[in-house]
Amino acid sequence: MMLAVKNLNTFYELSHVIQDLSLSVDQGEIAALLGRNGMGKSTTLKSIMGLARPSSGQILYQGIDLTGKPPHRVAQAGIGYIPEDRRIFANLTVRENLQMGAKNQGNTGSGNRQNKWTIDRIFDIFPWMKERSAQNGRFLSGGEQQMLAIGRALMGNPDLLLVDEPTEGLAPLIVRQVRDVLRDINQAGMTLLLVEHNYSVAASLADRVYLMGKARIGYEGTMAELEANPKIKADYLEV
Amino acid sequence: MIARITPPAWTRWVLPGIAAAILLGYPLVFGTVYTNIFIHFAIFAVFAASLNMLVSYTGLLSFGHALFFGGGAYATALALENIPGMGLFPAIFTGGLAGAAFALIVSPLLNRVRDTAFALLTLALGQLAYMACIKLRDITHGEDGVGGFPIPDLSIPGVVSVSMVPAQNFYYLAIVILGICLLLMWFLTKTPFGSIMIGIRDNPQRVDFLGFNIPLTKCLIFTLSGFFAGIAGSVYALFNNLVTPDGVFHIMTSFTPIMMVYVGGIGTFAGPIAGSGLMTIIEEIATRYTTQLVLFNGILLVLVVMFFRTGFVGLYLLLKQKLFEKESSR
Repeated sequence: MMLAVKNLNTFYELSHVIQDLSLSVDQGEIAALLGRNGMGKSTTLKSIMGLARPSSGQILYQGIDLTGKPPHRVAQAGIGYIPEDRRIFANLTVRENLQMGAKNQGNTGSGNRQNKWTIDRIFDIFPWMKERSAQNGRFLSGGEQQMLAIGRALMGNPDLLLVDEPTEGLAPLIVRQVRDVLRDINQAGMTLLLVEHNYSVAASLADRVYLMGKARIGYEGTMAELEANPKIKADYLEV
Repeated sequence: MIARITPPAWTRWVLPGIAAAILLGYPLVFGTVYTNIFIHFAIFAVFAASLNMLVSYTGLLSFGHALFFGGGAYATALALENIPGMGLFPAIFTGGLAGAAFALIVSPLLNRVRDTAFALLTLALGQLAYMACIKLRDITHGEDGVGGFPIPDLSIPGVVSVSMVPAQNFYYLAIVILGICLLLMWFLTKTPFGSIMIGIRDNPQRVDFLGFNIPLTKCLIFTLSGFFAGIAGSVYALFNNLVTPDGVFHIMTSFTPIMMVYVGGIGTFAGPIAGSGLMTIIEEIATRYTTQLVLFNGILLVLVVMFFRTGFVGLYLLLKQKLFEKESSR
């Protein structure tokens, strides 16, 4: 088990946003966290990342306790994060945005993977970034910003990537591109914990799925099991 | 599509070459008075640029930058007064180190606050330094200041030894030291460290989850900014051969570079340099007719805030864009 979240509770002021949540992610898989809006999916990722402080519970990452650690410590431990809001530094160029994310670039870093993510390898999967590397982030489209955020997170050479709503607000063609990129990086060895509102994207990517009802996990199973169970799908996902 | 004609490579050295020639010939052509005005401009250009590292790049408005400028000025003056045989470059370096040390000491405090609280805390620290400087008579000679300390010659043993007292000679030293400072600061903004500074300004949380320790990074930014402000203060001390609390720790010493940054153009590297130039020129002309320099500075600031908030450099870029657009629509 790579990431284990046990009995997590998080509050925003008085509202109990995450209630007794437990989940786990295994090495090499794509786990998806699905549910309607306002169920606490994003807050779950923020709690893991240290951006929201859990009041109780435990977050274990490769055996290390990360509960309540500040975000930079979580990042240094090897967890990358792609947030859902406008994701990049608008006043930095494409290249500078990528450089900002660079960590563990040498062969002596904490990770033991053979293939380190470098700026050249990012340019290989996103050729347009090379051509527009001197352009400011604010001149990118929403889909380009999302891809740059993915590239920036990869530059940190994390072992686990938390991805929050990667296809939100993107055109269908771009949604497919982002999906393919996520699949490619997973096949290159990256473990992903994905929060998605687009069921078909999640269904085509995820090995395992957690469905979130109000502030807690309501269903856990493989993607195939969920596909075979339309009632549960309807209970948790249909609006 | 019209093929773009690439100018030959040597043309890119024309402008820097002209600039270098003007800088080299300046004191010979314009004489002592204007040479001194230029040195004053260069000192404040570096001082304002060091403040700009905080204001424009990291998004931290400091009202107490005189703390580092004055710290550097006093460190150089006191070192030259008390240490016999102190060399010129060690004395200047001492000033830079003092500015950096002051910044390092106050950074744990400054790291705890942001926005308005940050501005007010820096204001308080600057005033604290001013009062401490007046009260610690045994060290600083109070309001009398430190003056008449020996100005060492610029000497490379066995090769050359030049007196730094004549304005012309000091001019060359000042523009080299201050020029190097500006180049270093400019270079810093182009490094990944410069990107982190802009990242902290735009969204500190995002920098945090990319794995950077924000308090530690800010501490380094304060220290570097303090170092360059200290160098500026040190050159100021050598230039005037006198440092007083009112000259280097006064609240106006903190406000002047802020005005230079805003008048010159916030958010740009060239802004504070242009601001220092513009305000030095205005000071020079205005003080010929009136003692009320503050009135002119006030009017200038009001004009900038009301009509061109991007300052002098912003105005220049706007004009350039307008002209360029006309050309392309032809």
